[in-house]
Amino acid sequence: MSEVILDVQDVTKTFTVRHGGAGARGRIQAVGGVSFEIRRGETLGIVGESGCGKSTLARCIAQLLPVSSGSVAFNGVTLTGLSRRQLRSHRREMQLVFQDPYASLNPRRTVGDIVAEPMRVHHRGTSEQIRDRVADLFRLVGLDVSSLVRYPHEFSGGQRQRIGIARALALNPQLIIADEPVSALDVSVQAQVLNLMADLQDELGLTYLFIAHDLGVVRHVSDRVGVMYLGELVEMASAEALYQAPAHPYTEALLSVAPELDDGRARTRERIVLAGDVPDPSDKPEGCPFHPRCPVAQDICRRVKPTLEVADDGRAVACHFPRRR
Amino acid sequence: MLWFAVRRITSAILVMFSISVLVFLIFFATPGVDPAARIAGRSATPAIIAQVRHAFGLDRPLPIRWALMMDHLFIKQDLSSYVNIGSRVVPQITQAAPVTLSLVIGAAVIWMILGVAGGVIAAANRGRFIDPIIMFVGIAAVSVPAYWLGEVVNLITQGGLHHSIFSWVPPSGFVPLTQSPGEWALHLIMPWLTLAALYAGIYARVLRAELVNALNEDYVRTARAKGLSERRILLRHALRCSLIPIVSLFGLDFGALVGGAALLTEVVFGLPGVGLLTYTSLQNLDLPVIMGCVMYGAFFVVLANAVVDIAYAFLDPRVRVV
Amino acid sequence: MSFATRAGVIRAVDGLSMSVERGETVGIVGESGSGKSVSMYSILGLLRDANVTIEGSVLFEGREILGRPDSELRAIRGKDIAMIFQDPMTALTPVYTVGWQIAEQIRQHTGASKKQARKRAIELLAEVAIPDPARRVDQYPHEFSGGMRQRAMIAMALSCEPSLIIADEPTTALDVTTQAQILELLGQLQQKRGSSIVMITHDMGVISEVAHRVVVMYAGRPAEIGTRTQLVREPRHPYTWGLLGAVPRLDSKRTRLITIPGTPASPLDVPEGCAFAPRCAYRFDRCEERPALHGDDHLDACWLEEPDKVRLRRAIEEAS
Repeated sequence: MSEVILDVQDVTKTFTVRHGGAGARGRIQAVGGVSFEIRRGETLGIVGESGCGKSTLARCIAQLLPVSSGSVAFNGVTLTGLSRRQLRSHRREMQLVFQDPYASLNPRRTVGDIVAEPMRVHHRGTSEQIRDRVADLFRLVGLDVSSLVRYPHEFSGGQRQRIGIARALALNPQLIIADEPVSALDVSVQAQVLNLMADLQDELGLTYLFIAHDLGVVRHVSDRVGVMYLGELVEMASAEALYQAPAHPYTEALLSVAPELDDGRARTRERIVLAGDVPDPSDKPEGCPFHPRCPVAQDICRRVKPTLEVADDGRAVACHFPRRR
Repeated sequence: MLWFAVRRITSAILVMFSISVLVFLIFFATPGVDPAARIAGRSATPAIIAQVRHAFGLDRPLPIRWALMMDHLFIKQDLSSYVNIGSRVVPQITQAAPVTLSLVIGAAVIWMILGVAGGVIAAANRGRFIDPIIMFVGIAAVSVPAYWLGEVVNLITQGGLHHSIFSWVPPSGFVPLTQSPGEWALHLIMPWLTLAALYAGIYARVLRAELVNALNEDYVRTARAKGLSERRILLRHALRCSLIPIVSLFGLDFGALVGGAALLTEVVFGLPGVGLLTYTSLQNLDLPVIMGCVMYGAFFVVLANAVVDIAYAFLDPRVRVV
Repeated sequence: MSFATRAGVIRAVDGLSMSVERGETVGIVGESGSGKSVSMYSILGLLRDANVTIEGSVLFEGREILGRPDSELRAIRGKDIAMIFQDPMTALTPVYTVGWQIAEQIRQHTGASKKQARKRAIELLAEVAIPDPARRVDQYPHEFSGGMRQRAMIAMALSCEPSLIIADEPTTALDVTTQAQILELLGQLQQKRGSSIVMITHDMGVISEVAHRVVVMYAGRPAEIGTRTQLVREPRHPYTWGLLGAVPRLDSKRTRLITIPGTPASPLDVPEGCAFAPRCAYRFDRCEERPALHGDDHLDACWLEEPDKVRLRRAIEEAS
């Protein structure tokens, strides 16, 4: 087994928000005690519904947001608590790809400039070397080198996401944190970008932290998958095991209702339609966060919060009554 | 709601306190400005100036002088002018305020009616000939300076045509509402129209832009899918949402105008309002009057903002405080 | 149907013929720019622009509705044909209560009094399973969650007992678990009331779970029309193969996805001949000519011979 590249320990992120007129300050725990490791060369998928804290988690890991507690270690170096200056050299090894390729590219700069910028900022080579590198990157992500001098609005959504990926790769990072990289794209284009990301991983030995709400996409790209609910990891296992036999009732329900092509090959699973909405993170339920919507909740679930228990097979579940198969 | 009021009043007091300190420092602590010399007159001997300085408390430390002035202005209400000795500040303002309020409130009613009507008609007819016509009239009204328009209005109504079609327009001046409501309105009608022209033009243009945006919103598509008439969609759905920015604009403009920004209109039409008072006091460097006028203006700006907040909450449930 | 724009005339929808039977759900699937939404908006007169021209014929319950004056269409919209939109965040007017907005539609089409309409609005909210409807009726859209807002939209659509509901990406903006709730609700209501649904979506998974029949659109033209089973199990058009192959599956191992090269054709610049040909791996000489939609109950617009289609499709299936 290869070495651990990213070690996330008990990361918690709490926001203080003002709501109501009485100046009452509420505390929203967006991420609550999340721990996991990523090994070099693997893809860890994080899946969850909107508001589950997966994007906040990504930002905390990338040190774009300070954690409230816990630690993030990258290549054995603890990043949390480092100064901006100290972070700089570590940060370039860890790059982000964002959801919205429309919003994350400066509209007034040519795409060649956009991709070259990180190298200029970090003084990587002469302007000539940088120019060559940008051209290489464009070829790498399947873009025409002649389009270097064009502006972001001249590209389609899929091409813009390729530009975003090229920019992320500019400094030869080891880890790519991709936050919903394909959810704004059409299906056929989405498939192209997913294939590109898989090719780049093989070619460059990249490690991915892949965050998305689409179960199929996450299944497709990930070696291991973590499921988040209300800011907490409720289950984590190999993609195969998780999708074949989900142990947490939330994972099970989520998988059972994901729309699937009824082409005779699909599984025949009973649909579990959960009642109600995800609770407001500022008003997290006592005990297990999932208990108000859980079809198998017992009395203990309302009182005692289950911890994420790691079983022998490496599967971790935070549930008092996990499904055993 | 109570919390809202408490917060508002606290912030109002804070704002007025800071403004009073600021104005005080600008006019009293600026080197080269010596109120005592002003009060004492042009040919005063140093001894007289020193005497005046002592009599007016001008030789005491700045914070004390500020406190004394506030005491005279707000509590004793007997602060008097440095220039026209004996003439008190508070009565001057209470005499000028009704003039300005009459002018601005009347004009505000007119410009809101004209502005909203113009904006709605233009938005409803976008793409047709009436839309650019309204927008052109709007921009023309915005571009014409108030004092120029006022002078032209005077020239027409008081000059050549005064003896024919404009014989009903009285000479400039002010008649209090309590004295004769008819005369009050008649004296103010031309100033109202002059002042309203500028703002009606701006409001019509802003509202039209807001409405055109609103008409592209998803909820308007929903309203169409419900089978509602275009008229209803425009007036009940789009307009209601578009009025929100108009209201905040109105709060700012109204507060500023009541606070003295209607000066030019007041001068042109000979209306003895707060603008005119501020202007004269600034010219004479009559510090107590300046302070009084500024405090009065600040009060109305703060008040107008509070009213806007309440109107906001009424129009937009999303900002309603619990 | 075409738009006149500064860039020239855009044929946003071109040669779409389809029918919806009573009680049936027809899915229209396609990527962005495929004309799936505009086609439905246009027949209802929702595209209010002098630059839009629509040709052809739209029969609703045996009556021609195309070219009718807006006043007549208004009487149909919201009453006989109701719509549900994609983004429940923006589809309700933010400054009125949910109940008011439902009541507004009821009062528009029936002579109901304010009181009756409000009572009906509460009943409708209860029918779409909104908890505590008597209280919720007086709340504003921003006080509802995304899923509840979409339920409110459905309640509004149902308010005048329409015979046809057009749902434009009704679950795209929602989470998976909420999507499941909404799809289940729509299914239940359809069974109870026997209304027809046209479901516009880009999601083949959703289509294959709810639609009886499916229309696949590409660049404003229908590429393939058939029953759900035909479309998903025996797709005939190479574009449909691509669409199905591009969907990452929950049950299969990590493999390469089948992709369609290039990007969806822009309605501004629809290729000559078969619109899909430039992205098609199987194109040949004939594709320079535009293929007609052909077939009996399972139609497609592709020049490939029937046996070739079956052979190619098998090959793709085995590869994945």
